[in-house]
Amino acid sequence: MFTNQCRCINCIMPPHILNKLLENPDKRISDAALQTLLTTSRLRGERAVRGLLAPAVAASAHGRRTVFDCANSTILASAAIERPEDGPASADESVNRAFEGLGRTRDFYKDVFDRDSLDGQGMRLNGYVHYDADFNNAFWDGSQMVFGDGDGVLFTDFTKSLDVIAHELAHGVTEFTAGLEYHNQSGALNESMSDVFGSLVKQWARKETADQADWLIGAEIFTPEIDADALRSMKAPGKAYNNEQFGRDPQPDHMSKFAQLPDTRRGDWGGVHINSGIPNRAFYLTAVGIGGCAWEAPGHIWYAALQASKPLMQFQEFADMTHVKAGELYGSQSAEQQAVVAAWKEVGIRISGALTLAATTSRMRYQPAAAAGNGHHDDAEMMRKIEQMSSQLSKLSKEVAGLKSKPH
Amino acid sequence: MKVTLSKHGGQAAGINLQRPPLVVDSAALDDSGASELKKLAASAISAAVPAHSGRARDEMSYTITIEDDGRETELSQSDTAMSAEFGRLLAWLQRRPGK
Repeated sequence: MFTNQCRCINCIMPPHILNKLLENPDKRISDAALQTLLTTSRLRGERAVRGLLAPAVAASAHGRRTVFDCANSTILASAAIERPEDGPASADESVNRAFEGLGRTRDFYKDVFDRDSLDGQGMRLNGYVHYDADFNNAFWDGSQMVFGDGDGVLFTDFTKSLDVIAHELAHGVTEFTAGLEYHNQSGALNESMSDVFGSLVKQWARKETADQADWLIGAEIFTPEIDADALRSMKAPGKAYNNEQFGRDPQPDHMSKFAQLPDTRRGDWGGVHINSGIPNRAFYLTAVGIGGCAWEAPGHIWYAALQASKPLMQFQEFADMTHVKAGELYGSQSAEQQAVVAAWKEVGIRISGALTLAATTSRMRYQPAAAAGNGHHDDAEMMRKIEQMSSQLSKLSKEVAGLKSKPH
Repeated sequence: MKVTLSKHGGQAAGINLQRPPLVVDSAALDDSGASELKKLAASAISAAVPAHSGRARDEMSYTITIEDDGRETELSQSDTAMSAEFGRLLAWLQRRPGK
């Protein structure tokens, strides 16, 4: 008999007793024992499977944000928490701007690409403000974002630029997808991806079309005394600034002006921030060529191409990949795919005839038929089947494109 | 002693690529300034360099060249891989006019 003060003790019925009960002449008892044994076996099996799946189904942090104050130190470990995800706004506007910027970027990836934070699995977003003293930079350290206050002469607070914040976070996305190596052309693509998605976050937040957007990176971080539009212009690489203090913006807008820089620190690792101007302009031209909002078709093409890219991707390969993805998403010869072709052509890169099933069929038609082992030739039938499949694939692509272009 | 500072990379990489280096000649400093520079340089040269992960993006890197008594020493470190001694020399140089 149990009282309110009694503690229940959990007992496990030993299996040998259950087995014995299986032989009990009373059917109710033997049935109960059988049911218990079956349930126990099922639970053991589920636990084993659950154990295997545990790492994969670890709860997502959904990009929870924390902003820290470095208090002008360079030691991140000693920075103080200023604003956690569920905390109130800070009295420090740098903290609040960083917090908002992290959130906008997180929400962009979720809303536009259904991506849960930078890694697709809800990775936490940490930002560190007031890094060092007079620090004229913001960077991604491999797992979190660091902001300087600027020296007040050339630059102001780097938290003031949403595209710079989103640029840095996009490096995280690239790391978790293509892993583009940070040297030479793959590095310039890495930088370009960050400018592309940095600009898209800003345009999405402002609800701007491609025609309305300024396509500038870092327009807000120069001090008023500095005569410069921005750090970089995606619309007009090479024209972001031209003054006595900085000289002329060195970014090229065409492959003929590709900057041959050494793969060293002095050479910006082969000019990753310089030659990014070429793919940047290609994206801008694609976006205005397609029209509407740049985060829609153009953004989806570039995102799909990024996910399909490899660490040492070169400009030509990436251009070809955007062509393939445009065809997959919107149909072969669609307006979107043609805009991609035209954009890359204008920056000096010709799409290298992407292999399609139809093209393969054409080539096979003019090749000598290979005899099967038994001497029979079934090539005509094979050609007919391939052409049939190609036609079905084109039809399917159009249907998918029609579904994707519906407003949401 | 002549110390030269060049900066590379970062969000303003295009600007850094084209900016002339900062040069500080100890002969143009007063005695305490020259002495301080000599001490900072010696510490930076002898300090161990932290390992560089290679995962940072848009970090800046800094090349400090120290010419003294006919010897030239070049130090190159970055925001995420920097000794405290290098950091102190860098901060001192960046407080100079014309940085």
